[in-house]
Amino acid sequence: MISDITLGQFFPGYSPLHKLDPRTKIILAVLSIVAIFFANNAVSFALLTLAAVVMIAISRISFKVILRGIRPIIIILLFTAVLNILMTDGKGTPLVEFWIISIYTEGIVRAVFMALRVVLLIVITSMLLTYTTSPISLTDGLESLLSPLKVIRVPVHTFAMMMSIALRFIPTLIEETEKIMNAQKSRGADFSSGGLIKRAKALIPILIPLIVSSFKRAEELATAMECRCYRGDKNRTKLVKLQFKGRDIVWFLAIAAITAGIILLSILPYKFVSPGIIYDIAFFKI
Amino acid sequence: MSEILKLENVSYVYSKGTPFEKVALNNVSVAFERGKITGLIGHTGSGKSTLVNLLNGLYKPTEGRVLLDGEDIWAKPKEIAKVRYRVGLVMQYPEYQLFDETVRSDIGFGPRNRGLSREEIDVRIKEAARFVGITDEMLDKSPFDLSGGQKRRVAIAGIVAMGPDVLVLDEPAAGLDPKGRREILGGLRRYVEEKNITIILVSHSMEDMALYCDNVVVMNRAEVFRTGTVREIFSESGVLASVGLDVPGISGIAAELISRGIPLEGELYTVEGVKDAILRYIRGGAR
Amino acid sequence: MKDEIIRTENLSFTYESDGDEVLVEDKLRGVKNISLSVKRGEYVAVLGHNGSGKSTLAKLLNMIISPDSGKIFIDGVDVTAEDFTEDDVYNTRRKIGMVFQNPDNQLVATVVEEDVAFGPENLGLPREEIRRRVNSALDKVGMTAYAHHAPHKLSGGQKQRVAIAGIIAMKPEVIIFDESTAMLDPLGRRDVVGIMEQLNREEGITVINITHYMDEAARADRVVIINDGQIAADGTTREVFSKVELLHKMGLESTQGNELLYSLGLSGEKISGEGLTSEECVEAILGYLQGKVK
Repeated sequence: MISDITLGQFFPGYSPLHKLDPRTKIILAVLSIVAIFFANNAVSFALLTLAAVVMIAISRISFKVILRGIRPIIIILLFTAVLNILMTDGKGTPLVEFWIISIYTEGIVRAVFMALRVVLLIVITSMLLTYTTSPISLTDGLESLLSPLKVIRVPVHTFAMMMSIALRFIPTLIEETEKIMNAQKSRGADFSSGGLIKRAKALIPILIPLIVSSFKRAEELATAMECRCYRGDKNRTKLVKLQFKGRDIVWFLAIAAITAGIILLSILPYKFVSPGIIYDIAFFKI
Repeated sequence: MSEILKLENVSYVYSKGTPFEKVALNNVSVAFERGKITGLIGHTGSGKSTLVNLLNGLYKPTEGRVLLDGEDIWAKPKEIAKVRYRVGLVMQYPEYQLFDETVRSDIGFGPRNRGLSREEIDVRIKEAARFVGITDEMLDKSPFDLSGGQKRRVAIAGIVAMGPDVLVLDEPAAGLDPKGRREILGGLRRYVEEKNITIILVSHSMEDMALYCDNVVVMNRAEVFRTGTVREIFSESGVLASVGLDVPGISGIAAELISRGIPLEGELYTVEGVKDAILRYIRGGAR
Repeated sequence: MKDEIIRTENLSFTYESDGDEVLVEDKLRGVKNISLSVKRGEYVAVLGHNGSGKSTLAKLLNMIISPDSGKIFIDGVDVTAEDFTEDDVYNTRRKIGMVFQNPDNQLVATVVEEDVAFGPENLGLPREEIRRRVNSALDKVGMTAYAHHAPHKLSGGQKQRVAIAGIIAMKPEVIIFDESTAMLDPLGRRDVVGIMEQLNREEGITVINITHYMDEAARADRVVIINDGQIAADGTTREVFSKVELLHKMGLESTQGNELLYSLGLSGEKISGEGLTSEECVEAILGYLQGKVK
């Protein structure tokens, strides 16, 4: 049923990756993104790929799921790869010369790196965040990480509460949309034929009832929350408190080390070691 | 008996082939009699909501056929919309489907989709409004300015105006007080008698079933458990209770009186029926 | 009086006074001159047809709206006093829990136990205490097995039980059920009414059940009928349900036992005795018939 779909896709489980503190995972995701953007040579990419593979292995999420996550962008990946191969000028002699096309080693390496970069970005962030962290603990993690901003009067708690209520009501609203669609279909509404304008118009009988009932829901929910003594984060405690554990530190150190290494590699002077073909591929800079 | 709508060995499975797979209907065969009100009862999860959605082609049977006047409604899948005009479905809490600027225009949505002429639509709106008790004055108001009970009636009128041969209603009186229930269900009773159409009524209220239906279909665990006239189903003690449904309180009183030596006979499932039975007993005994 | 938990004096409210355009629906829902007193530990049903003003009364009692005139005392404190601050509202609300009609629109969290914890969290209780209350509240409504489930996957009755647990966990003195069973199927209704009674009998919580189901009201100790915004009847359940004619006049019904005796009476068989419960009705009829046969 449609209502099983939530934002991203969370796979409940009890793997070490699931058990990490959401704040750790958010920090790790940020570190990984930095590392991925600094990575510009084969060693760095090898390190990151290894990290991604380790994450997949211990999360016990099937490889098929990961592939499914990448599938929608494969066309874009191929397209940019081809562009990279064709448009990059190299120093040495081209590998292939044909009509106005010349392909250099640099082009191929660059294309592979670019594709790897996008794939790693998706795999690592979804491994850390969407696949193994429930939306609600993500929200908790964000609220906690952003709480220093409260000092400069950023309503962090309010934003977090809005996020979690949105998450709570997404399945409800999807279910409701389904119901209203069926109701209008029963009155002969047709959502699947005609041109763009006709189709857009056909949505009115769904959107208006949906909006009206959402407002009603919002009002009732606000009343219910007030009756349960809600008054923002004033004097509020929490049932679940986030706590860093040993494994959080281990993970943080590992990823931080990889990131630091990759940054170092990327800013090390190119001429540090004598050039050669093996060297070029290992530490190719783009 | 003449059947207008019939299910033949129908099964329906949700999310087939996934871990969420669930059999909602299992090889169900049932027929609905023309010109009668048939009550559909059963627990939440007994399969009655699925059945309702199959009747007008919102769901397509996983197996089996749904026959309307002897024809398979899925014979031409592209024309399924036509089936929906003939089998009008009023969903639960239908007031949440109102959207148009005026009550008149909202009731006219179905007829407009059906492609009827303007004059024809006007006539149908008036007629449908009259049936559910919507006054002319209300027709030009915004549906959002009406009370909950009035909105419910407008929504029902929206289906009635399509001129269906079969009207299926899922809990049309849910959340209404006794007076509101009587008005809506009584209106439907009159509608059936005047127009000779067929009604299929889903309800949790055994009292309503006893008062307004001719036939009853009892669903249990994805299957049809029993079918019969109201009198057959409600008189046979234990049928409803055996699937965990509430017997109307009045039936319990009648049953207890019988077991205490008062031989009552008749429609022992409405207050009126039991009263008549007692009067017959008293007056017969006094002779 | 010390054992009086709620008292209202000449309470009046109309939606027109808000200044906004008034909907037809709302016009019906004002209340006029409501004077009501509820004692600690009572089990009261407030009965009335749709639009009779009974839900408006609930909103007034929980300070969601304030009356045009009249006074409300909660646990002896005048909540309509001018110097009643927001903190006072908060402190009074802890004593009155509300369970609403639509179970979906009162659950805030994506996990059952976190939702139950919402109220206690707002009260600023220590974590261990919240944990204790959440566990015990879930146990009382029989939802412990669902503590880690997502609310949207539960049935209507189960959602409503979670909502009740969320209120119990705040340990209120009164719980007002505002048409809490109207959207439930018979099983869900039975569960929720069962919990109401258990809370009243075993925990001593004052229960006010606002409903239009007469079979639910018949189970309370006392029934107050609201009609056109005014109290039309107030008495023991037995008293109120024996006034069949009055109930009919207000678009309501009595229990089926009473209805049967009443309709036999109209046909000339005046049976003395009552039919609040089916058993009583059977006894009354049997007694009458035996007298007749002799």
